[in-house]
Amino acid sequence: MSSGGMLYGGDEIGALVFDPGHHSLRVGYAQEDTPKAEIPSVVGVGQTDEQPDTNMDIETKIENNNVTQGGKKYYVDTNYINVPRSHLEVQTYMKDGMIDNWDLFEKVIDYTYAKIVQSESVYHPVLFSEASWNVRNNREKLIELMFEKYNVPAFFLVKNAVLAAFASGRATALVVDSGATHTSAVPVHEGYVLSQAVVKSPLGGDYLSMKCREYLEGQKIDMTPVYKIASKDVIKERDVPRYTTRTMPDSLTNSWQNYMLKAMLQDFQINVLQVLENPFDERAASQIPTVHYEFPTGYHQEFGSERFKLAESLFDHTMLGAGQLASTSVGMCDADVRMSLFGSVVITGGNTLLAGFPDRLNRDLQHRAPSNTRLKMISANGSVERRFGAWIGGSILASIGTFQQMWISSQEYDESGKSQVERKCP
Amino acid sequence: MSDIRDIMEMERPSTEVNRDSFLANKKQRQFERAKTTKRPEGMHREVFALLYNDNKDAPPLLPTDTALGIGSGYKQTKARLGMKNVRKWEWAPFSNPARTDGAVFHHWKRASDDNREYPFAKFNKQLQIPTYTINDYTTHLRTNNDWTKAQTDHLFDLAKRFDLRFIVMADRWDRQDYGHKSIEDMKDRYYEVSGILQKLKGVTTAGSDKKLYTFDAEHERKRKDQLNKLFDRTPEQVEEEQMLLNEMKKIDAKKRERERKTQDLQKLISQADREEERSAQNLQNSRKHEKKLYKKKLQSQPRPSRAESVVNAIEIGSTGIKFSDLRGSGVSLRSQKMKLPANVGQKKVKALEQAILEFKVDPSPPPTDEICNAFNELRSDMVLLCELRSALSTCVYELESLKHQYEADCPGKTLNIPPALQQPEEDESKNIDGISDISLREA
Repeated sequence: MSSGGMLYGGDEIGALVFDPGHHSLRVGYAQEDTPKAEIPSVVGVGQTDEQPDTNMDIETKIENNNVTQGGKKYYVDTNYINVPRSHLEVQTYMKDGMIDNWDLFEKVIDYTYAKIVQSESVYHPVLFSEASWNVRNNREKLIELMFEKYNVPAFFLVKNAVLAAFASGRATALVVDSGATHTSAVPVHEGYVLSQAVVKSPLGGDYLSMKCREYLEGQKIDMTPVYKIASKDVIKERDVPRYTTRTMPDSLTNSWQNYMLKAMLQDFQINVLQVLENPFDERAASQIPTVHYEFPTGYHQEFGSERFKLAESLFDHTMLGAGQLASTSVGMCDADVRMSLFGSVVITGGNTLLAGFPDRLNRDLQHRAPSNTRLKMISANGSVERRFGAWIGGSILASIGTFQQMWISSQEYDESGKSQVERKCP
Repeated sequence: MSDIRDIMEMERPSTEVNRDSFLANKKQRQFERAKTTKRPEGMHREVFALLYNDNKDAPPLLPTDTALGIGSGYKQTKARLGMKNVRKWEWAPFSNPARTDGAVFHHWKRASDDNREYPFAKFNKQLQIPTYTINDYTTHLRTNNDWTKAQTDHLFDLAKRFDLRFIVMADRWDRQDYGHKSIEDMKDRYYEVSGILQKLKGVTTAGSDKKLYTFDAEHERKRKDQLNKLFDRTPEQVEEEQMLLNEMKKIDAKKRERERKTQDLQKLISQADREEERSAQNLQNSRKHEKKLYKKKLQSQPRPSRAESVVNAIEIGSTGIKFSDLRGSGVSLRSQKMKLPANVGQKKVKALEQAILEFKVDPSPPPTDEICNAFNELRSDMVLLCELRSALSTCVYELESLKHQYEADCPGKTLNIPPALQQPEEDESKNIDGISDISLREA
């Protein structure tokens, strides 16, 4: 402990921070500024009898203890999932913001300790983030898993909205988190989530991807993902693409193909879509310069007003638009905290990187907030800070000196069991 | 001095540079230099100073301008980095006294500062939430019929867990088992119970001077209601309110305009009246004068009577001070009411000051409502008094001059001025009536 540490209040004890989400799981050491790894929150499940390529033989192979699913092989992380293999089903372990398939999740944790942390789990306290609406059963299961299977020395569970607020230096904030499957507005008061006022909608990045897919299908644009393409020719704009395909292993599963297609759509979404600051208006949208996009097939064209129209679906729902979510959430809080919530609206989550998202939210909220409120939006500029807001907050929290008394230690777990997570992790 | 041997952690005799060794080192070098460089006989000092007279070292291979080397910086061949040996860090276990379980974690610390208490433990502050036993509860705390023992227990449990953050407590309140309670209900009950418990303790320990906090639930509820109403205004309501405010402002402006106009009108009317009067008078006068002219042939021109105009002016109502009405301009100090309005002339202000001195009135009394009004009235009257005084003196002067004129015109005769018109010597205040008499007669 140095005097410098005392000055900044930091004391790092080698803790790990896990931030599971629908798109990815973020893992890294506390006190670092970015996660060590971002692992897609899907697991490829394949047959063992099939021989993989020799150079692909580094994937984690874990014997499954589950009797009914014997003889399965699991593929974790981008490098192993993105390889086309026959009969490889892609499954996610997340559901509704919570961990749902614990067997698959265990595979990912195993992989994390083996390949990313590369250290024994007994040496590192673990801080997990969770959705604000996580249920007791799930929380107890997680603490049980970490202590029983991984023998972690200490464990703690924090709501991801609280962490995102901490990452922006706030203890009281309205956290608007737009991720892959959800957009949620969570009021945080002095480091505690006001759980009665959490509002969420199922409109997120995946919803946009779906909209893009519908649109591209409607336009009859060839959406062959990049893995199928061996070579392509340079063509003129809107010409029929000329490309040759690779030979694929037969019987690729639908789930895997969809997963790969989604990756392509996400790229399209990142590069093309934009939200207008005001509600969609064909005339205003057509004034803005078009954006050029080339598909993996080589086909390319300009996208004009339709790129605004697609993104507008996140906001134009009268009940589920992000602005509506935020103002509803604040309206459900006690009148005394509303002012401070409006005074720091923290924007986080990968989907908020959609061009123009914060501006539009600001405008929508301004319209809905009472006229005399001081509205302040806090959104990190960097894409890393925005996407990993909750993880960064966790990294900060777990490396603060005064936090070290909060951990549920293995001793405590042995004494009082898993039920104390409800008491100790508010 | 640190170098590769330090990094490799090899043992070597300590060459740590401290102040003494450093100074000794320096002295020695100076001595050497003094020996090697000698000024030749007959050479001028200035010329000698131009000569190269270092200790003939080879130039340094790398800049050695360290903080240490200031002064001797560029003359050394060897870099001197840092004065002290590096201090070791180690990954050491520690236990946090703020924890109850004595769990041991590891962190980096200096090997030198060992076995100190964990420095962050002192930040572990806990609120003192009062506790009660079942006995306490049954004998003293069954005061509120809305609260059962279970509910109160739950409340105090939450208070302990969330350090009296009532907003969070209300959020985590178990509605299924304990029914609905608002934040105000909770605060009310909490402070009620803790107050009772404190009183009980006060009886036993006697003399704890901690103040009892009483929570005014009714007031808080009202406040929250109003706050909610403020928040729940629809945009239309806000707009309407704004519109009404604007309308009110407009009406006010119109009203003021109308008042101003009527005042103007009144002024015009009174002026016109005066004109009429004056012209009638003039007519009379001229007629009289004509007669006189016929009679006396020699008659001086009638002087326009100054007294007349002065008295008229006083009568018409420029008397006193109109104090501005502060209503409608928002919050203000009451003492502002006593400020003289800006349109009072410099002369009047001077006169007023003198009058205040004369009557020995406190020039700035404490501005209570009554005093404000009375003081303003008083000053208004004082101004009136001053004006009347000056009018009186004008009249007297006029009278005197008329008398002289008369005596000059009719030598040997004296004009007997009736005593009522003589300048009185008594108290001013009594004479206001007299003055008006004069003015009447003059008119």
